[in-house]
Amino acid sequence: MRLPSRPITTGKAMRSPAAAIEQIGSVTIRGIKSIGVAAHFVGDVAAGLRDAKLVARESVVQARRLGVDSLPIAIFIALFTGIVLALLANYSFTGAVPLYFVGTLVEKTITLELAPVLTGLALAGRVGANIAAELGTMRVTEQIDALETLGYDPLSFLVAPRVLAGIVMFPVVVAVAMIVGCGAAWASSISLLHLSSGEFAKGLRLFFETFDVRYGLVKSSSFGLAVTMIGSAQGLDAEGGATGVGRAATSAVVYSAVAILTLDAFWAVTWLLGRESAV
Amino acid sequence: MKRTNDLIVGLVVIGAVVSTTLSIAWVKQSDLGRTQRDVTAHFRDVGNTRVGNAVVVRGVVGGRIQAIELAPGGWVNVRLKLDPSVRLPSDPVVLLNESSLFGDWQATVVERSALPADAKVRAEVAEASSEPGMLPGTSLPGIGELTAVAGQIAGDVATVATRFGTAFDDVAARELHESIRNVSDLSSTLKNVANAHASDLDSLSRQLQRTVVTLDRAASSVELTAKRVDSAATSDDARRLIDNFSVASLELRHTATQIRALSSRLQTTEAKIDDVLTAGDSVLTKINRGQGTLGLLLNDPTMYRRTDSVLTELRALVSDLRNNPKKYISVRLF
Repeated sequence: MRLPSRPITTGKAMRSPAAAIEQIGSVTIRGIKSIGVAAHFVGDVAAGLRDAKLVARESVVQARRLGVDSLPIAIFIALFTGIVLALLANYSFTGAVPLYFVGTLVEKTITLELAPVLTGLALAGRVGANIAAELGTMRVTEQIDALETLGYDPLSFLVAPRVLAGIVMFPVVVAVAMIVGCGAAWASSISLLHLSSGEFAKGLRLFFETFDVRYGLVKSSSFGLAVTMIGSAQGLDAEGGATGVGRAATSAVVYSAVAILTLDAFWAVTWLLGRESAV
Repeated sequence: MKRTNDLIVGLVVIGAVVSTTLSIAWVKQSDLGRTQRDVTAHFRDVGNTRVGNAVVVRGVVGGRIQAIELAPGGWVNVRLKLDPSVRLPSDPVVLLNESSLFGDWQATVVERSALPADAKVRAEVAEASSEPGMLPGTSLPGIGELTAVAGQIAGDVATVATRFGTAFDDVAARELHESIRNVSDLSSTLKNVANAHASDLDSLSRQLQRTVVTLDRAASSVELTAKRVDSAATSDDARRLIDNFSVASLELRHTATQIRALSSRLQTTEAKIDDVLTAGDSVLTKINRGQGTLGLLLNDPTMYRRTDSVLTELRALVSDLRNNPKKYISVRLF
């Protein structure tokens, strides 16, 4: 599954038009091949879900490790995000906009963007690296080969439960982060900005829509899918001992972060933009 | 261990779902388990009103907008969910208006008599009143529309100011200054005149006052007389008087006819007299000129003297006749 890494030749090093055309073709083939490999991997994982009993049993364990154990870091991030956001809103609105708009800004930014993305990035570091390191270690120590020898499908036994747990637990963690972030902003508004609870609630309710929460949760679910899939793929591709495992963990975090930001833009373009035009 | 995992994961998932649901319900101010009543209002246009906006009765939030839906005939029906304790006015009308400068709207329920004195608003409410079972309503202009109108007014004012600035140049200012000074002079002159004639004006005023009093009395008398005439007009004497007046009027008309005929004859006679006088004048003129016998008689002294001489001779003859009748008269009998 690992793609051969070949440095791309710069324009100065190319000696003839034929070599340049060859280079373009090579890059294109590698790109298509990587898409095909990724699609094949997704198909294999989906096929691995057929063993529902095994997947369900392992998913609960992974849900505990990936989701419940990630709650402290998610709450910590949401706590400080809410506080800082309220102070930033107050700083921006001073003298121009009524202060109860702090609630509006906090609600919109936390539910639509900050809670899903910041929590997703944090979990990409924690969960993605964890999965890549664990599966990579199993790969380099030939435990996965042993499983295959024993008749276990590694995708059903190792990958599918993690992916399922990521899809389910990421929205749970993000929902908690949303509540904690808004609560922290509310508390800081009352204690630091001398904003009344009623005013903050008025701003919070002013432009609130259930869609905001739905959008954030669906987006975080896609982040969970991407992070677990990338971590699993990188871990299964690990080779070369501890160095390979470290490289796989690093790649998993980097690719997961890139995937999260790309998916964030994707959802904004496809869902938010469509919603604006519909209104 | 496995059961512990299951329990913890289940608790976290359920806790997150319940917390999120309750948070959404709190933010959206959903009324879980409370009985509310629905009221539907009828609009032509609902502006930027959205589901969830507040319904305000006498300044107090008494419900939420539950649904907004298009209705046949170009109408929009808005369903309001009101608290059971809210009592609507006897003749309620729903106004949709902006509740702040930042785009949030609300539905305000008011008495029809408390509608703004705007013909368009009242016409829209009257039109919306035709639907039975629904509250009539209309949307008030938003801040954007008001700002646009204000901008137009500001533009007009700027145009007027520009024109005023163009017209009110230095020459106009000097002329205005001169006019003001003239008015000041005129004012002081009038003041002097007024001071000089203050006593006269006082006297005139008193006389005028007396005149007014007299006129007032006269008016009272006239009024009294009118009342008497009015009361008299209803009696038999008045009727007889009117009949007499009618007869006298007929006689007067007859007399006038006769006078008119007499006048006509007098005109004829006058014309004849005029002709006679003209002829006489002509004769007298001729006499004065000494024409004709009479003229000669009047104007020629010779004739006078001859006549006088004849008379003298006649007198002598008569005297002689008296003295000597036999000289002239001889009486013979047979």
